[in-house]
Amino acid sequence: MQVSISSQDSKTLVTLDGRLDTSNVDQFQKDIAPLMQGDNPNIEIDCQRMTYTSSQGLRMFLMLQKSVMARHGKMVMVGMIPQVKEVFDITGFSNIITII
Amino acid sequence: MHCEMILDEYRESLPVFERILYVILDNIRKRLNDNHVVVAGLEGRVKTEKSLAGKLELKGYKYHTLSDITDIVGVRIITFFSDEVDIISALVEKLFVIDWENSVDKRKMLEIDRFGYMSLHYVCRIPESLYSDPAMPQLNDLRFELQMRSALQHVWANMQHDTGYKSDVEIPVEHQRSLNRLAGILELADEQFSRIRKEINDYRRNVQSLVASGNFDEVPLNGDTFRSYCDLNPFKRLADKIATINQAEIYDDSLMPYYKVLLHMGMKTIGDIERMRQEYSDSAYQLALIQLAGTGLDIVAYSVTLQNLCIVCMLKQGFGEAGLIRMFEGIYGPSDYNNQRAQRIFEQAKRINLI
Repeated sequence: MQVSISSQDSKTLVTLDGRLDTSNVDQFQKDIAPLMQGDNPNIEIDCQRMTYTSSQGLRMFLMLQKSVMARHGKMVMVGMIPQVKEVFDITGFSNIITII
Repeated sequence: MHCEMILDEYRESLPVFERILYVILDNIRKRLNDNHVVVAGLEGRVKTEKSLAGKLELKGYKYHTLSDITDIVGVRIITFFSDEVDIISALVEKLFVIDWENSVDKRKMLEIDRFGYMSLHYVCRIPESLYSDPAMPQLNDLRFELQMRSALQHVWANMQHDTGYKSDVEIPVEHQRSLNRLAGILELADEQFSRIRKEINDYRRNVQSLVASGNFDEVPLNGDTFRSYCDLNPFKRLADKIATINQAEIYDDSLMPYYKVLLHMGMKTIGDIERMRQEYSDSAYQLALIQLAGTGLDIVAYSVTLQNLCIVCMLKQGFGEAGLIRMFEGIYGPSDYNNQRAQRIFEQAKRINLI
């Protein structure tokens, strides 16, 4: 899983590339650690190239979402392929996380 | 001459008054917070030298020393509803020493055929048990004024002030009459707001007790009743069963996004949801089983229970793929993916003979 983080206008853009599973979830947690700080964060996660997420990946997204909401910010996931969306659907995570 | 002495005393005591104001506001805020009381406003001020000089010029004969003047420090608590003034006064009485002789309940002073300024004024002191400072021994002796009134009483008081209604300059009778009529309307509105709020609270309590007692058919479905029903954790058994598929953790999320879906599905009472739960829980589990088995996904949101129940209910009632698409649009907003989502679920439902 390749993670790149950049600033674009007033938001932080996180681009994900590849599979998010047990083999790389620890590194992913380190990668997104800087996003857990600051007021009113506005985070967009570009998932066009994310091919899969395990439940540990779901936990990471949930953790980030909770952190963002606690700081009165906004997090959206965009461009998700149907196979990954299905994971969010069948676990009910589509009801928790904003997916565009 | 004695007015000059009072002003000198004022200048010397200014830091004490400022400390008094800080202690009052800080303690009132804490007490309101501890008791979960929300107020429309909390404000305070130390009288300016100019204002004090003006007061002394007009009524200086009434005061011998600075401590005779009780409103050098003034604090006002503005409530949303008139009946909350009594709640606030009870909290205040526990905080400060009240000088009852000089305190006034202006709400009880008006004649039955008069309308106008209604506010509760307390003259108080800070007890040593609340706060003391050896460097400022007079802090616990100096009195301050505390006004408590509702937001509408506050509006009236400000209008009186701005229009000069109480000034010595006489205003024409027709304007006086208009202002009196307005005061009557504000008093009536204040009373009606309190009454309506009480009725809403009574209704909520009644509905909560109906929900808690299981009389679901008597409870109309609305945002409040749905929330009370959700508090009973009605889908826990289904959630636990779904969790066993992958020995999953259940993440306790809100079911409120489904409230509008339930309305769109034509549900009128909490009883309708309860019947859906009883009739379709097995099928909702079967749907989760075909979706989750073998995926290794060991976390599920609690809302997946109601999500699957609504899907099953829609399909059982013959709404088909089109019904599912409408439902998904209601939850997630319009998108092309809703068609794929509905198609996939429709196929899964056929495989487990739901349709």
